[in-house]
Amino acid sequence: MEAAVLYNVPHEIPWKVYIPLYFYFTGLSAGSFILSTLSTVFGIKRFKPMALPAAIISFVLLMLAPACLILDLHQPTRFWHTLVPEYFNRTSALSYGSWLLTIYPIANLVYIYFIYVKYDRVTKILGTFTVPLAIFVHAYTGFAFALVRARAWWHSALMPGYFLTSALLSGIALLVVVALVMDRYQKNKLDPELYTSLRLMMVGILLVDLFWSGSFWLTLLVSTADGYASIMLAFHEKLYIWGEYVAGMLLPLVILILPWTRTRKAWLCFASLLIIGGVFLMRYSVVFIGFDVPLS
Amino acid sequence: MAETNKLDQGKVPEDPASGNGASGSLPTKRWAMLVDQRLCIGCHSCTIACKSENNVPLGYWRSWVKGIQKGTFPGVGNLYLRRLCNQCDTPPCVQVCPVQATVRREEDGVVVMYYGKCIGCGMCIAACPYDARFFNPVRNTADKCDFCLSRIDNGLKPACVEACVSGALIFGDTADPSSEISQKLASTATTVLKAELGTKPKVYYVEADHSLQGRISFSDRFEDEILEYRRHIPSPAAEYWKRGE
Repeated sequence: MEAAVLYNVPHEIPWKVYIPLYFYFTGLSAGSFILSTLSTVFGIKRFKPMALPAAIISFVLLMLAPACLILDLHQPTRFWHTLVPEYFNRTSALSYGSWLLTIYPIANLVYIYFIYVKYDRVTKILGTFTVPLAIFVHAYTGFAFALVRARAWWHSALMPGYFLTSALLSGIALLVVVALVMDRYQKNKLDPELYTSLRLMMVGILLVDLFWSGSFWLTLLVSTADGYASIMLAFHEKLYIWGEYVAGMLLPLVILILPWTRTRKAWLCFASLLIIGGVFLMRYSVVFIGFDVPLS
Repeated sequence: MAETNKLDQGKVPEDPASGNGASGSLPTKRWAMLVDQRLCIGCHSCTIACKSENNVPLGYWRSWVKGIQKGTFPGVGNLYLRRLCNQCDTPPCVQVCPVQATVRREEDGVVVMYYGKCIGCGMCIAACPYDARFFNPVRNTADKCDFCLSRIDNGLKPACVEACVSGALIFGDTADPSSEISQKLASTATTVLKAELGTKPKVYYVEADHSLQGRISFSDRFEDEILEYRRHIPSPAAEYWKRGE
């Protein structure tokens, strides 16, 4: 039936680009941190040269992340309200998140100090306690979306897992770029096996991410009217299909698998950069496609 | 330890230490609104009354009347849907607020905002299934309909109810079985918006066309539909919804 809106009041999107940027930075940070603990906590010696740079990158990104959050607040000077115990809301993912975002950088800084002074036993203990923090600090952002029942695009149990795996993916990709740059300007070269391990990890996580996406699409396609509308809208977005999936996931996957590109450092660097961009687009599309289906 | 009577579990426990009034406890109220769409003529009196009562900034509305024209001539109908905060019993906005700046008042079930606490993160605006919340550009906090809190706390009816020309809005206490709204709810077929979400709204509708909320045309031309939707976003100060254009 023909229908036209005579009068309505849709309210504008409450968030700016800082919010996907924030998710992106925490994701990169959590990913780099977990990579850093591979040698210090899980004892995989091959990753030893990456432990300190990864931890430092993780800390720097953690400074940027809350800055983005505070920039997006409409009352930035009241950001400390989230840390008042009396105001704590136990049903709000954001309440937990603000505490995690305060504790995690401090734990991270102490951890960096002990790597720096090469006090391996303390580093291992500290790392063991900080790994769950790193996981939660990023998983909570997934829960912040998954627990919103109003928007079909967000209200999915896959969200926290998808956020975590893509965080790891972006962290590894960033570390690959950093390692390649370090290799170029350092005297003692990195073990080539390191790149193989990082590449295989990226391939594995890319496949997991594609599996998440497939599950997500299929369930939305047979979901409610709003769910169906969101996924059809996403398919109409060129940035979603060509940016996030083709350029951000499929192309790097092909580069990392094909025998004549996977051994070349230039191709590895290119694929990593594509992944870093693709993960940002993933955060962006999760946040803003959610707002595309009108609720008013 | 005394056993709790199962029959009393639904009631709000009386707390003698709360210190409100001489009796020591507040009478439990459940404020609710009934919107009779059969009587609504789409005059927007409630919209205007709400805006002037609550001093809502230019370009923003706490409550409004969505109007839809359906069909093709000569079979045409103008249909209306009064929109306001649904004062849910399990409010998604209260669930997500990181600083408890919005809470559901125990004594009367109204979802209220504490503007001094609000940090303006926008999570409640994103989480509201009814798009009833918005950023107030003067206060720089989230804002929404609160059944005209200052009026109902002083024994008056909300401004929209007073302004309605056709008596389409009934406001009252559903905890009191003799109130007009309780009797109306008991004897009329009513619905709530998006009952499937389990938000348990306290704004009831009589003969509301539920297809009037959210998307109205279920075509496959999603791009046109969304462009049309974005074109209607009215707020003059809002530029960022254009997403970087």
